[in-house]
Amino acid sequence: MMKINSHTLSEKLKVLLFIAPLLIPLLTFWIVPFGWSVYISFTDWDYISPEYSYVGFENYQYMLEDSQFLQALNNTFVFALGVVIPTVMLGLAFALLLHKNFRGSQLYRAVIFSPWITPTVAVSIVWSWVFETKSGLANLLLGKIGFAPIPWLESGDTAMIVVMIVTIWQGVGWTMLFFISALNKIPESLYEASLIDGCSPLTRFIKITLPLISPTTFFLVIVNMITAIQAFDQFQILTQGGPSGSTRTLLYLFYQQAFELYDMGPAAATSLIILLITGVLTLINTEMGKRWIYY
Amino acid sequence: MTTQTIPLPRAMQQDEKSTLTVLLALFKQRKTVTNGVSKSIFSKSLKHVFLIFSGLIMVFPFVWMLMGSMKSNDEIFSNPMNLFPEQFRWESFIEAFNSAPFGLYIMNSFTVALFTTLIVIVNSAMFAYAITQLKFRSQTLLYFVVMACYMLPGAVTYIPSYITLANLGLLDSHTGLVISNAASVFGVFYLRQVFLKVHPSLIEAARIDGAGEVKILWAIVLPQCKAALATLFLITFITNYNSYMWPSLLITSQDLNLIATGIRQFFIAEGNYGLNWSQIMAASSIAVLPLLTLFIIFQKTILSGIADNGVKE
Repeated sequence: MMKINSHTLSEKLKVLLFIAPLLIPLLTFWIVPFGWSVYISFTDWDYISPEYSYVGFENYQYMLEDSQFLQALNNTFVFALGVVIPTVMLGLAFALLLHKNFRGSQLYRAVIFSPWITPTVAVSIVWSWVFETKSGLANLLLGKIGFAPIPWLESGDTAMIVVMIVTIWQGVGWTMLFFISALNKIPESLYEASLIDGCSPLTRFIKITLPLISPTTFFLVIVNMITAIQAFDQFQILTQGGPSGSTRTLLYLFYQQAFELYDMGPAAATSLIILLITGVLTLINTEMGKRWIYY
Repeated sequence: MTTQTIPLPRAMQQDEKSTLTVLLALFKQRKTVTNGVSKSIFSKSLKHVFLIFSGLIMVFPFVWMLMGSMKSNDEIFSNPMNLFPEQFRWESFIEAFNSAPFGLYIMNSFTVALFTTLIVIVNSAMFAYAITQLKFRSQTLLYFVVMACYMLPGAVTYIPSYITLANLGLLDSHTGLVISNAASVFGVFYLRQVFLKVHPSLIEAARIDGAGEVKILWAIVLPQCKAALATLFLITFITNYNSYMWPSLLITSQDLNLIATGIRQFFIAEGNYGLNWSQIMAASSIAVLPLLTLFIIFQKTILSGIADNGVKE
């Protein structure tokens, strides 16, 4: 009896030895903070004073009337859609052209992927110069073909477009790589059959390729969307949420509430709304993933 | 005068006509050999034109950055459209290095990223080994807990993690950065998939030979997954090297800045009036070039690693 007990005990210790190095930081910096954030979101804590009071759902109720929050929510969705749709379409286009190996294909892939490697802060600074109103390249080129300069980063709509362009530019290569691997997993025999049937390339694409890569497409839409919702660096460099809040996303609003205004309660509530959105997207992703076969 | 000018357009017209006929002939020829060589050459060159064009757009910001860093500010002001500088001025790099400690920032980023990555590799490998090769209850539960953290946005954890680090006295320190990034959900996720592919008989055989679990992980499982480990190493290293938001909240001393936070400070200090693009571009190049070099060296590992073992259930 004793022997069996000590045996299972040592088994348990062994498991613990293997999982503890990850579990300790995971608990300290992920799981416990999550519960803690939920708690903070029900208070009016201001970080500095030790006293705070429990305010119930007030922070959440206030959101619904807060025009800043609603604007940020709207901006987040506009930004996410404006990034995801072009990224997935361009990524697929590049993958279709590059999934077969030919001379130079590796180079093209590397070139298209390369922006993903570089620090977003540094490349955003470069783009901020390209889109500078007075001496930026974009306006100089527009001037050459006879258009009036556009105050890219000083007007709301165009500022959002600039941030989208930078984000798409950085992310499209990553999406392309996933499409390449999906396209290469389509069995060659399917294409051969369609050749015998005399399908045109377009029908082949719509009838065979698209349905077979649709799980990957769906996965990439969701993952790109989650990434877009959590974009911060390019906003901080290019717009700081401005002009007048027109590029303030939920994450940026959280940043300002928590680390500029020290309104920890509302900030925590905002962060939980971000969690709600990404959580729903992740759940949709896993549910749909179960139903589809991945190629 | 007028008579002299007339023949020229006429000649051009004739020229145009002749090129047209050639084109038409080519087209007819193409039609007669449908699906033949000329069509594939035509579509192939169209493909290359599109790819070259896209490739140029993708690398253009890097080129513009490098060229900008080597122009003088006067030249940027007077001839803003020139791609190549009148003369290559390497001085702006020296000036940038003199006005902010970029070498130190890069060292800081490198150290923090390296230590974080090493910890992540070790603890993710051990955890992934436990949930794939050891038998214990709550195995799947543990995996689900980790995966649930995957959807947890950083923002949700920032405020409490900040307070925890403040309590530990680790705000504004590299140790604080490293330990708060020490758990990587992606690492577990990625290595779990890879470890599942290791043939169970190998592990069984080693167990029968009396090898301990740590030894099995170290001597049998890990050597089988070298490529995947390399990819995980590179991706984790690059993400940590480039990370900005969390370090910008933790680090307040200038000499502890990572490259991303350091370069932003420099940008704010120098960039307010758009007068010093040359040095700012030099600073950006200092931040970007090490990573582009890293990528050129390891592109195969990175590209195939993401494409083959990507985040896929």
